[in-house]
Amino acid sequence: MALKQVSSNKCFEGFQKVFEHDSAELKCKMKFGIYLPPKAETGKCPVLYWLSGLTCTEQNFITKAGFHQAAAEHGLIVVAPDTSPRGCNVEGEDESWDFGTGAGFYVDATEDPWKTNYRMYSYIKDELPKLINANFPTDPERMSIFGHSMGGHGALILALKNPGKYKSVSAFAPICNPMQCQWGKKALGGYLGSDASKWEAYDATQLVKSYPDSHLDILIDQGKDDQFLSAGQLLPDNFIAACTERKIPVVFRLQQGYDHSYFFIATFINDHIKHHAKYLNA
Amino acid sequence: MSSRSGRAREYETSDQLPGRSASPPAPEFSETEAEGLIFYHMDLYGSKERFDIFPEEPSGQVDRSLGDTRRESTLNSEKFQCSQEAGYDLEKEVAELARMYGLDEDREKELELLGGHLETVESKWPPAHAEKAGSQGSVHNASKSSSPVKDQSQTTKQQGLPSEASQDGDQSKARVEDEAESHTWSREGLSSGGMSDEWSSQPVSEEEEAADVFCCTCKMPIRAFDKLFGEHKDHEVAQLPSAVESEKEEIHKNMCKLEEQIAQMENFASHLEEIFITVEENFGRQEQNFEAHYNDAVQVLAQKYEEQLEALGEEKRQKLEALYGQLVSCGEHLDTCKELTDATQELFLENNKASFMKAAVTMVDRLEEFLKKEVHLELSTLPDFEERVIDFSEVEQLMNSINTIPAPCAPVINPQAPNTATGTSLRVCWGLFSDDTVECYQLCYKPVSTERHSDEQAEHTLKVKETYCTITNLLPNTQYEFWVSAVNVSGISPPSERAVYVTAPSPPTIKTKKIRSCENAALVCWESRDINPVDSYTVELSKLTDEENGEITESIVGIPNCEVLIHLQPTQSYRICVRALNLGGSSERSEPVLIHTTGTYFCLNEDTAHPLLAILDDGFTIACDELENPECDLPVYDNSFTRCIGILGSLIPFPGKHYWEVEVEEDTEYRIGVAFENTPRHGYLGANNSSWCMRHIITPSRHKYEFLHSGMTPDIRITVPPKRIGILLDYKNCKLSFFNADIAQHLYTFSSQFQHYVHPCFALETPGILRIHTGIATPPWTALP
Repeated sequence: MALKQVSSNKCFEGFQKVFEHDSAELKCKMKFGIYLPPKAETGKCPVLYWLSGLTCTEQNFITKAGFHQAAAEHGLIVVAPDTSPRGCNVEGEDESWDFGTGAGFYVDATEDPWKTNYRMYSYIKDELPKLINANFPTDPERMSIFGHSMGGHGALILALKNPGKYKSVSAFAPICNPMQCQWGKKALGGYLGSDASKWEAYDATQLVKSYPDSHLDILIDQGKDDQFLSAGQLLPDNFIAACTERKIPVVFRLQQGYDHSYFFIATFINDHIKHHAKYLNA
Repeated sequence: MSSRSGRAREYETSDQLPGRSASPPAPEFSETEAEGLIFYHMDLYGSKERFDIFPEEPSGQVDRSLGDTRRESTLNSEKFQCSQEAGYDLEKEVAELARMYGLDEDREKELELLGGHLETVESKWPPAHAEKAGSQGSVHNASKSSSPVKDQSQTTKQQGLPSEASQDGDQSKARVEDEAESHTWSREGLSSGGMSDEWSSQPVSEEEEAADVFCCTCKMPIRAFDKLFGEHKDHEVAQLPSAVESEKEEIHKNMCKLEEQIAQMENFASHLEEIFITVEENFGRQEQNFEAHYNDAVQVLAQKYEEQLEALGEEKRQKLEALYGQLVSCGEHLDTCKELTDATQELFLENNKASFMKAAVTMVDRLEEFLKKEVHLELSTLPDFEERVIDFSEVEQLMNSINTIPAPCAPVINPQAPNTATGTSLRVCWGLFSDDTVECYQLCYKPVSTERHSDEQAEHTLKVKETYCTITNLLPNTQYEFWVSAVNVSGISPPSERAVYVTAPSPPTIKTKKIRSCENAALVCWESRDINPVDSYTVELSKLTDEENGEITESIVGIPNCEVLIHLQPTQSYRICVRALNLGGSSERSEPVLIHTTGTYFCLNEDTAHPLLAILDDGFTIACDELENPECDLPVYDNSFTRCIGILGSLIPFPGKHYWEVEVEEDTEYRIGVAFENTPRHGYLGANNSSWCMRHIITPSRHKYEFLHSGMTPDIRITVPPKRIGILLDYKNCKLSFFNADIAQHLYTFSSQFQHYVHPCFALETPGILRIHTGIATPPWTALP
């Protein structure tokens, strides 16, 4: 579990670093970005995990989202892992941008040839937190998760599948109901097989229906001019309807004029950092 | 009697009265007078001749001598009295006084002189005393020469005098001897003192060289050798240095005592100087008092004297007229007799018998007839005068009053001292210029009224022994006029100036329903219970803690209005009272109010309520039963909402954070938020730029939530309809946030620079109720939305 520092840059009195390690879960070298706020030099800090979307690496978020100032201010360690195993030489992994490399979808694959390496769910859920808690001044009891698009889907299912594990969850333009959209059907079918009933375990809208009565404050921002919204890839209405029915508290903000880009994320990143800080620092 | 007549004579010498009463009959008389009647004339008017003579010499002599000796006789009147018989005491005194003041026409001048005399007497006491005997003699010589009849009492007086004078002489002689003695004594004392000094210094200088110890018994330094073998063998000794120390100490002590005495004496001397001045002042007052009283007495005496003399003169005139009448008739009778005698003698010379007889018969008839008439030889009036009782009672009364105290001067009433009044009482103080003797004071007061017929206001009068008085049972915050007179046996002084005092105001009433507060401040308003304005108000606040309850921790003074914003500490409880102040003092405390600085507390402004909106009894629940005719004919106040069924709250105008919650029902449509005080009453909340609100609408498919300002709202979906909405107004960060308070969920935040203070606003759009909760501590989860 040795960590290899790839880069370190001072940022808002803290440090934005990138590490590389050998992942037991994914059986490959993985990189992750980690922002250590100034507060981390003197004490333990809560950790906020960010899950990126399709095609992204650990770099996109740390270079484009502009979260550092808010994270430094609220004393949050922000961890941004990669979105899939890389260099595993699985056949077909680089064939399309929405499946395989850069599109792990935060599931544990059950189908060959993916099931050996594509275990992003377990990696995010267990291996990465263990690694982070072992190597950085964290408070293991206080963690939250958020993400964008496919990462939004990942954040939602990780929170919904593990009640109490995350203090809070939020998402930018998440894929809310993958069983019902093209991206989801392709990915879930590829990783989990054609039996759609198995997909339900990784569908936020389905998971809400069986979510126990445990408090979880969900914040979702969605650009109204997001081309994937109109393309029916994200389907937030299904999720909201399920949450309304199950009385899962969600504030869903449809932001006029915004698209699916990191410009949209950067605009509302502070609200999300604050949303998590409220629970992580409570 | 005898002495009185003597006096009367003396008066006559200087008075015109006798001349007036005597002269009118005299000319008549002299014209009709027959020579033979001069005898009667002389007898009856003998006194007149004397009257003519007297004023020229003896009376003038008396005046002069009286003028010279008046002061002496005043001073010695006591002694004169002593030598008189007891029964004559009063009469003598009056007589002396009368002689002193009453004899002269120009009394006033004399009185003026008298004042001067008394003063000189005061300063020249010893010489006057020494001269006394001689001058006394001259007085009595004068009186002797002026009154031809010397009576017994005067003789007695004169006899008594020389012995007294000689006694005085003896006394003064003895005193001189005493003084001489004391002089010699003091000289002796001085010389002996000098001697003792020499004596005490001698041994010291002689034995100084050898002495090394101090004999305590003999009080002198000696040589140690002497202690062993000399005369001081068995005496107690001390080492010389220590003896010197103790002696120095002793001397120092005595020096201190001397200094103390010097200080005492200096004080005493300055006190004496003050006493000197006081004596002068008292003398002046007393002098005036005497002058006034003696003046009165003399005037009364002069008046009495004139009355008596007039009566006496009248009596004399009547007597003389009567006697004169008798004399005239007597003369007529004599003439008739003479005529008859002559006729008879002529008849005897008649030689003719027949004619004689003829004449004789008629003559005999005439004689018989004449002799038949009775001759009245009794006096028609007696020479004695009616005995007149001289009434001295009035003078006596005046004389008595001379020795008593004068009526006091008007007291000086003090202006009202601050903080001496309560709502129902006043403490009035006054004083006197001088040390008048005062038995009590008569204090009067009445309320000052602006109405014209203020005189009809009841006046109250109190008798007070002290120079202050506390008057109770008065009306609060009311002006009263006071004046005071001093009273003693001699009478009542004129009243003092009038002073206006004012009672303290009534305690104000805090408007409990209008109290607003937040974590750091409270806005308290109250109303005065008095009609008259007050000067200012004081707010007293005490922080309530577990240990000490209700100690005043702070006062805010000089508040001109009926409202104050008080800065407080968060999450504390305060008890707040108000007092009203005016010149007289402060009122009692108002009924206290409790203020908790937990969260923000406000109340609803009923004036702004739409007519269809009802405020329930708790004051914080608003309800709307029906929506028909929202713009109906119900009475609309100037300030109330006319279209939106809404109401404003009254939030404390204080920067910082304010948090409150609203309990809603799931099927109720509402608008809640904040608005400027002047937000348009005819519009909907959130539809303009002067209000910000969260709106709940029920659509066929879902609950819809809008966050409206200027009619604009973001597109926000909320999956859990909030039942209790938390609203956080944060002036400092320019934010207005809405929360689902039950689950601490942030719903939306307006970012707006509030140009003015805002007020909470509430409106119902469907029948239902909204429950407003205030005084809630701002939850920590509102810190980060």
